Amino acid sequence: MTPDRLKKWIFVLFISTLAMGLSACNNRSSDSSHAIIRFGISSAPVTLDPLQATDATSARINRLIYETLVEFGEDDLPVPGIASWQQLSQRHYRFKLIKTSWFHHGKKLTANDVKATYEAVLDKKNASPQRNIIAHIQRIEVIDDNTIDFFLSRNDPLFPAFLTIGIMPVDQLAKHHPFNNQPVGSGPFKFSRWPFDGQLFLQRVSDGLTVEFLQVKDPTVRVLKLLRGELDIIQNNLPPEHIAYLKQQKGIGFISRPGSNYIYLGFNLQDPLTGDLQIRKAIAYALDKDKIIQYALGNAAQSARGFFPSRHWLGADLKAYDYNPDRARQIMQLLGYSEHHPLQLSYKTSSDPFRIRIATIIQSQLKKVYIDVDIRSYDWGTFYGDIKKGKFQLYSLTWVGIRTPDIFRYVFHSHSLPPGGANRGRLKDTLVDQLIAQAEQEMDLKKQAQLYRQLQKRLNKLLPYISLWYEDNIAFYRDTIKDYRVSVDGNYDGLITAQKLKGSNKQGSNKK
Amino acid sequence: MLSYIVSRLFSAFIVIFGVVFIVFMLIHMVPGDPVEVMLGESASVVDREMLRHALGLDLSLPQQFINYLNKLVHFDLGQSLHSKKAISELLSERIVPTLELSIAALLVAFLIAFPLGIMAALKKGKAADTAAMVFSLTGISIPNFLMGPLLILVFAIMLGWFPVSGRDGLSSLVLPALTLGTALAAILSRMIRASLLEVLNEDYIRTARAKGLGTIRVIGLHALKNAMLPVITLIGLQIGALLAGAVITEMVFSWPGLGQLTIESIQKRDYPVVQACILLISTTYVVINTLTDIVYGMLDPRIRISQ
Repeated sequence: MTPDRLKKWIFVLFISTLAMGLSACNNRSSDSSHAIIRFGISSAPVTLDPLQATDATSARINRLIYETLVEFGEDDLPVPGIASWQQLSQRHYRFKLIKTSWFHHGKKLTANDVKATYEAVLDKKNASPQRNIIAHIQRIEVIDDNTIDFFLSRNDPLFPAFLTIGIMPVDQLAKHHPFNNQPVGSGPFKFSRWPFDGQLFLQRVSDGLTVEFLQVKDPTVRVLKLLRGELDIIQNNLPPEHIAYLKQQKGIGFISRPGSNYIYLGFNLQDPLTGDLQIRKAIAYALDKDKIIQYALGNAAQSARGFFPSRHWLGADLKAYDYNPDRARQIMQLLGYSEHHPLQLSYKTSSDPFRIRIATIIQSQLKKVYIDVDIRSYDWGTFYGDIKKGKFQLYSLTWVGIRTPDIFRYVFHSHSLPPGGANRGRLKDTLVDQLIAQAEQEMDLKKQAQLYRQLQKRLNKLLPYISLWYEDNIAFYRDTIKDYRVSVDGNYDGLITAQKLKGSNKQGSNKK
Repeated sequence: MLSYIVSRLFSAFIVIFGVVFIVFMLIHMVPGDPVEVMLGESASVVDREMLRHALGLDLSLPQQFINYLNKLVHFDLGQSLHSKKAISELLSERIVPTLELSIAALLVAFLIAFPLGIMAALKKGKAADTAAMVFSLTGISIPNFLMGPLLILVFAIMLGWFPVSGRDGLSSLVLPALTLGTALAAILSRMIRASLLEVLNEDYIRTARAKGLGTIRVIGLHALKNAMLPVITLIGLQIGALLAGAVITEMVFSWPGLGQLTIESIQKRDYPVVQACILLISTTYVVINTLTDIVYGMLDPRIRISQ
């Protein structure tokens, strides 16, 4: 073969290989999308180890992989998950497994696995962030394969509500298995693969359907990927204009449900200005929450009066600080402020564009009642650090997934100043402390609820927070997806029942 | 020559050490505590202290720095405070997509910049020159966070040619590479034009033309070769910038690269990962610059002598 012919052959071979490579790469997405539901998420899970997970995405995905002893009902009271319970004495609870479950590595879930899991949480060496909420477990005893006893060091009528940690197999715990990136649970989904942080594959145990969680940070790109068919479902974290736009698109379904994530405006009560109750009241009357919900949130939120929505078993009938700018101005004038001599306050927020937008609206509304607000936005670490140190006058944050009343001690008790608690506004009120202590000791849930309602009324009077709204949970999905639902706390449990119509994996079809 | 190379390598070592030291100190001075991020506010003081001790964060800063250096010389980058994954594993997951994107962006930039820059130089002052420089100015002026979604809208949504985002085959590389490459092409084409214009007035070009060589040969064999020196410097710097600074493009296209990892780790106060990312990026910069210096020294003895 002459050198020229050899060169030609090499050239033909090279072109053929390149063409085959390109073709293989381009076909990859359509082949792999068979029986796959692609779920767009704004932030990737950090760890799939239930002992360590604290971020919302990890917790939501872990719910799919692991089963828990206890779940929550519609009114947010604990209900049986894989176990029912009996309170044998004030400090002694017995749990019975009511469902036969198998771990994804083939072993049956027994009381020994439950014991091993909770002992792992309590083991200081594991430094589990969940440890503190169940630190009053004194000992755990296995009675038989399906029965387990928990003994407490103090009374806790709501103890079962804290047993929501995913159960892990004892044999794998003993081997120090890396649950963080190779989880083994007994839930409806088993781990498939996790090629990189932003892409995780799970497989549904019942029918083998694969769910791909794909991180797409930019909400615009998330929306475009849904329209193009590169994603099947997106949930929450969308600005109102995107929500309005998607609602008009043919071939895209919309589902929404009132949520429980609580957004509030917090005050520093040690500051001479925001420590003044009259100023806090003026701010409360000056905020037109309904307008913010309508225009800035696209009506995807419910106005809030307290920590818990009315459907919650602790939901209280609290006095509303309805929008009344005249009253707010009157209060401010009595305090000596006017249009020419406004009150100067600073408002700290994160650098999230949506939070800055909300801060700007609040700034504009407060300006009408003689309050000039200086908005200061910081990266999350700096902002959060300042809030915990009490270096603020006004700030806004969200409480996510709050279901149990222990939050009141954590947030409002005078002994809960950061870093030991989240009393960031430095509230010190004897009556609040007393009501918290009384409610915690009350073993009758009805009486306990009454005490917590009294406490909420007291807080509503003191105004350490102004309750803003509860964000709705919303999801958009392609019309090839059936039986997906959203939950109150925004978890991904809808994937347990979701179906994708066969032959609907082709991308790029969204005709208007 | 050997002493020149040794002195360059020594300077590179000092720079890398300086970067390691400054980054270590800065990241520890930024507000925000990784222990609190990991355990949450509800953790007891005892648990906090135990974790702080386990992570070695209770030691003095100099002691922590010495421990860090000790691990570094043993090629142990440690593990992520949050995901507990080995940092070497995290970096290897991310470096390949970053390299892919950088190489593709460079390719796009070359394909646009060279014809554009040469044409603008040859047609100086004419409509083609103006058009090329308007393109260049537009490319520099449009930020990536706008260019990315615009390309997605046209090529992914309206025409349906490429996927919107993600890293799924060669077709998914096109739009992010175009986004990054266009901006780079804009800078490069201006530089090529300016360098060529300077060279085209030289005597040896006139001689080449007088000898009867065609425009392509004059440009390709004589002018471009000599005009490339400043262009190579710029490319060297831009490669470093591409490796480190494609954060916006990576965000828009959900490209799982090094830039995204760095930003996410800063937000989570994941000290070891931030340190490792910045170490890798700065080492790349330093290596590229050192290699450029050495090649310069080889090509141009005056540079060696002046050292």
